[in-house]
Amino acid sequence: MTAVLLRRLLRLLVVCFGISLITFLLLHLSGDPVAMILPEATEADRATLRETLGLNRPLLVQYGSFIKRAVQGDFGQSFFHRSPALPLVLERIPTTLLLTVLALGFAVLIAVPAGILTAVRRYSWLDHLATVTVLLGQSMPVFWTGIMLMLLFAVSWKLLPASGWDSWQAMVLPALTLGTFQAPLFLRMSRSAMLEVLGLDYVRTARAKGLAEWSVITRHALKNAAIPIVTVIGLQFGVLLSGAVVTETVFAVPGTGRLIVRAIGQLDFPVVQAGVMTLSLLIVAVNFVVDMVYIYLNPQVRIS
Amino acid sequence: MKRCLRDSIYRWGALLVLLVLGMLGTSTGAALAADADTLVLALNRDQDNMDPHMHFQRVGIIMNINMYDSLLHKNTKLEYEPSLAMTWKTLDDTTWEFTLRQGVKFHNGDSFSAEDVKFSFERVLDPATKSPQYGNIRAIKEVKIIDAHTVHLITDKPFPLLLERVVYFPIIPKKHFEKVGAQAFAESAPAGTGPYKFVEWKRDQYLKMERFEAHWRGPAAFKYLTIRVIPETSTQIAELKTGGVDIIRNLAPDLIPDLKAHANTYVSTAPILRTHYVELDMREPPFNKKEVRQAANYAIDRQAIVEKLMGGLGKIVPTIINPLAFGYDPKLEGYSYDPKKAKELLKQAGLANGADITIHAGVSEAFFRQIAEAIAEMLSEVGLRTNLKIWEPGPAWNKFFQSEGKATHGFYGTWGYYSTFDADAILHPLYHTEPGGWVGRWYTRVPGLDDLIDTGRSTLDKEKRMAAYTKVQSLIKDEAPSIFLFSQHDMLGVNKRVDYAARGDEWIWLYDAKLRK
Repeated sequence: MTAVLLRRLLRLLVVCFGISLITFLLLHLSGDPVAMILPEATEADRATLRETLGLNRPLLVQYGSFIKRAVQGDFGQSFFHRSPALPLVLERIPTTLLLTVLALGFAVLIAVPAGILTAVRRYSWLDHLATVTVLLGQSMPVFWTGIMLMLLFAVSWKLLPASGWDSWQAMVLPALTLGTFQAPLFLRMSRSAMLEVLGLDYVRTARAKGLAEWSVITRHALKNAAIPIVTVIGLQFGVLLSGAVVTETVFAVPGTGRLIVRAIGQLDFPVVQAGVMTLSLLIVAVNFVVDMVYIYLNPQVRIS
Repeated sequence: MKRCLRDSIYRWGALLVLLVLGMLGTSTGAALAADADTLVLALNRDQDNMDPHMHFQRVGIIMNINMYDSLLHKNTKLEYEPSLAMTWKTLDDTTWEFTLRQGVKFHNGDSFSAEDVKFSFERVLDPATKSPQYGNIRAIKEVKIIDAHTVHLITDKPFPLLLERVVYFPIIPKKHFEKVGAQAFAESAPAGTGPYKFVEWKRDQYLKMERFEAHWRGPAAFKYLTIRVIPETSTQIAELKTGGVDIIRNLAPDLIPDLKAHANTYVSTAPILRTHYVELDMREPPFNKKEVRQAANYAIDRQAIVEKLMGGLGKIVPTIINPLAFGYDPKLEGYSYDPKKAKELLKQAGLANGADITIHAGVSEAFFRQIAEAIAEMLSEVGLRTNLKIWEPGPAWNKFFQSEGKATHGFYGTWGYYSTFDADAILHPLYHTEPGGWVGRWYTRVPGLDDLIDTGRSTLDKEKRMAAYTKVQSLIKDEAPSIFLFSQHDMLGVNKRVDYAARGDEWIWLYDAKLRK
């Protein structure tokens, strides 16, 4: 178990290093931020600023100093916000995280029971309805779903605010939008995982013993069906975070995604680097936790 | 057994439905019902910081003008009127005297004086500040305090744009700034003398302000002002219709009919300085030949673009000079739409088979993209087969400067003159080739043009300036360093509970906003 843990942690470090290198190189290849900071300045002024920001040093030296500072949590000063980059990112992380978790919660809450139900009632009208919903849900882009929900709930029915993040009511539509994006996948996964498990001998044995159907499903079948479901949920966390960028834009949610997208447009290197690194660490950490849960749920992994 | 499962599922399902209905029930009316005391403006992006001297963005200007005063102000007819300066005059060609308003207070309680004016200008002029607005006022070489309420701005040479430049030049409180420091001033403790004072700023979310009761103009109509950041246009529209927001800007022309027809909203438009153009690289083939540049100008059906893509809310300009700017020559006729002539000119230039060109567009609005695509199509039709590259404005400029303008043969852009109603505000950045210049130093090669621009900007004599600009316009019309296009309108969507009209300077000056009776 310790060896597995250590192996995973080592892999985690390698992934972080890779992400930092790719982000750094891509950013530095994409242009010179000084032209954006001082659009109307003379070349001499630009050269001075380039020197002040350390952008005139060789790339390798810049990367070395970036890593050295980054491990201490110092990503430098934002070129445009006039404040340190990491706090800018960190103050937005809770928003993005809350949006992601709410969406995930919504998707799981709707999709997993529905998936189980459609597996239990295979080929019923409920199953067919779910199949159509899955198809629809997966074909709708997040921004479109968002705008449609906004038109219905905010403009037509005036039940919820159209945008913002300052009240729980304002959080409903963004979470619903992002959740709708993921729910179909969870539904499909739960259904197929459950169907597979329901056909196994031990389930038949449980039924033969005269256990209540509810008990067979929740106590016996669900635990084994949960293994692939948990894996997918964990993997989808990263996908949800990227979906959050679009949702944040549509609903004017002040999250990390929007900050990073804007910083990329401005070539605000410190903010992009701090943002990408923080989100990557978050995704890597979630995957790590999922791995651990997986090990707990599936003893075979532990043994192997 | 199965019944037990079904019952359980139904129970949970019913509970969920009740929960959702309950949530919605309690939130009815939560759609941010309009508050009679609060005016809400939506912008598509936030300013980078609250320091009015440390940005060059339109959204920042709009936020700042409601919190800070400058020496002068412009009314809705765009005439100068006193603001922090009561009177102004020139003592000689390079000395401007401003008599300051007395009894003015900053939001923090400090009294406004000449010290604050001197401090504000010197701060931006100091290279160590690295203010992006430095270029606007670099002609000022000294700020001299005569007494507590009189200052002299002394320029290195006659600088006719000075009054235009001080209309947006926020004056900040020296003592307060020195006490709180630049960082806090930019984030949590800004203070000006404007009609609204700072309350709270949540980056990328909102800026909340409260009416400054002691403002020298008298209190504004709305007690609270909130500027919300809503990046998505469709979301802004939804908020405007539901009353979550009172004013939105930069409407796409195709959205105007919908807002005009809606029961809660109206549209206000005004012609503005923003002028569209395609700047051409005169150093490299094919645009190093005058005939090719003229051909590109004849290739464009401007009328069709204005009518079809801009909803008629634009005006064709003969050159780059906007009719609203000083120096505009109304007698000059622009290029007509004549594809046949364009092809002939290409033939004369030795390009009977046309040429392949690349144009980039730094596009900030969706309808700019459509315009860029139409231009590319029209150029291709006469033989200038255009490969259009559409980038975000930031990366677009970046690529431009990095390659010293050689990344593409030209770029489509718009220029808002920095709300400076003077020909120089576009001629200098776009065409002057001085080493510290902007795009002109890379692209433009028109003999004699630099001198004419210099003549126009180095005398206060309006007639001499006008004569210089008349010559400039006929010269650039002939030399065609750009494809000249059109100007546009500012397009605001306004909720019917509020009275507010779009201005010609793209400002949103909310002191003028009133609640409709």
